[in-house]
Amino acid sequence: MKTSIKTTPFYLLFLISIFFSKNLLSQEKYERESRIKQKNVPTEALHFFDSISNINKIKWYKEEGLNKISFEAKFKINRTKYSVEFDSLGNIEDIEIEVDWRDLKTQLKDTISAQLNKNCNSHKITKLQIQYTGSKADLWHQLKYQAINPNAIVHYELIVKCRQSKDVNLFEYLFSEFGKIVSVSKIVFKNSSHLEY
Amino acid sequence: MNTKSILLYGFIVFFQFFNTAQSQSAYQIGLLPAFNINNKFKKGWSLNTKIESRQLLQRGVFNTSIDRKNQYVLTDLSFITAKKVGLNSRIAGGFLMRFEDGAIHHRFIQQFIVVQRKTGYRLAHRFFTDQTFSKVESPQFRLRYRLTTEIPLNGESVDPKEFYIKINNEYVNSLQSSAYDLEVRLIPLLGYDLSENLKIESGLDYRVNSFIRNNTRHSFWMSLNLFLEIGG
Repeated sequence: MKTSIKTTPFYLLFLISIFFSKNLLSQEKYERESRIKQKNVPTEALHFFDSISNINKIKWYKEEGLNKISFEAKFKINRTKYSVEFDSLGNIEDIEIEVDWRDLKTQLKDTISAQLNKNCNSHKITKLQIQYTGSKADLWHQLKYQAINPNAIVHYELIVKCRQSKDVNLFEYLFSEFGKIVSVSKIVFKNSSHLEY
Repeated sequence: MNTKSILLYGFIVFFQFFNTAQSQSAYQIGLLPAFNINNKFKKGWSLNTKIESRQLLQRGVFNTSIDRKNQYVLTDLSFITAKKVGLNSRIAGGFLMRFEDGAIHHRFIQQFIVVQRKTGYRLAHRFFTDQTFSKVESPQFRLRYRLTTEIPLNGESVDPKEFYIKINNEYVNSLQSSAYDLEVRLIPLLGYDLSENLKIESGLDYRVNSFIRNNTRHSFWMSLNLFLEIGG
């Protein structure tokens, strides 16, 4: 009995925390990404890849936000990472291709760098994707023949580690074809105290 | 490194130690529940409060005697203040009180943590030193390194109401009364993300020490961890 008395406060803390967790659950922001099986993907999205033979394996993900559900296909072609996003009905939204900073034209790099230098004391680009939007036929043609379609709208999505006056954060920048900032959003990391303590 | 190779690495380390040090070794089996509250403040500061308890269920020597002994062992209470010093890194320091056999042990803690976000998993490196003082034992000084891997079981990151696997692998160097020892810990856990702010984990906390002095002791603790985030 001595043992149970000593340990009782500990288990009480457990019960109290589980009680309070119900309140936390009701306040949480509902945004999640999960891997799904091919059978749960909209048919329209699956058919998009019909007759594109140079893709070996596609991983499918479902992204659920507060107001939006979308599907994402991730795969590689010749070691290059591709990501194709579809809306909830399976209509294509964009194609993203991961590229190296060195692959961009010098003039574009200079314009983007100037913008980043203005926003950050120092910065490092950790990921770069070229984003193509356009008609279904144009994007399909681009993916099948690996040829840039002149009708596609091009954006550059950059993940940037940015050090400002007293803090360092990760941002997602979207630049236009000519290096003009379209949008900037701060990336908020998931909690990691369970990995630290 | 993909998920399969991380898991394979973990199991190889586990069985290697278990096989080489099992014969005529002492062991103990018990429960290790922990409750962890992480309070976030402005400008990257946080305070972590943890209470952890140990309950011994059985101990003895492999292949010989079994000494069944169900008894409460100790309770640890710690307070650690941390400051974000980089995008993925945090420096922390704090104090732990151990209540054991009517005595209180005082431990000072310093740690540096780097969390790496990879595609499909996260890695955390923890560099840790501590100094323990009490009236009943000589001061103990430890230098520790822990690698923690978090692998989501659905998607590329752990979201609310999803399971994950967490594997801790830690190497604890200690010096007490001029005697050096190395303890190796391998802790595979199954976790569940109840919400953005609350996680629960359970699994085996396996520790092996004194093997360099040929006096190997194995510890098998059934872990139950609860992590609560407040503020931010």
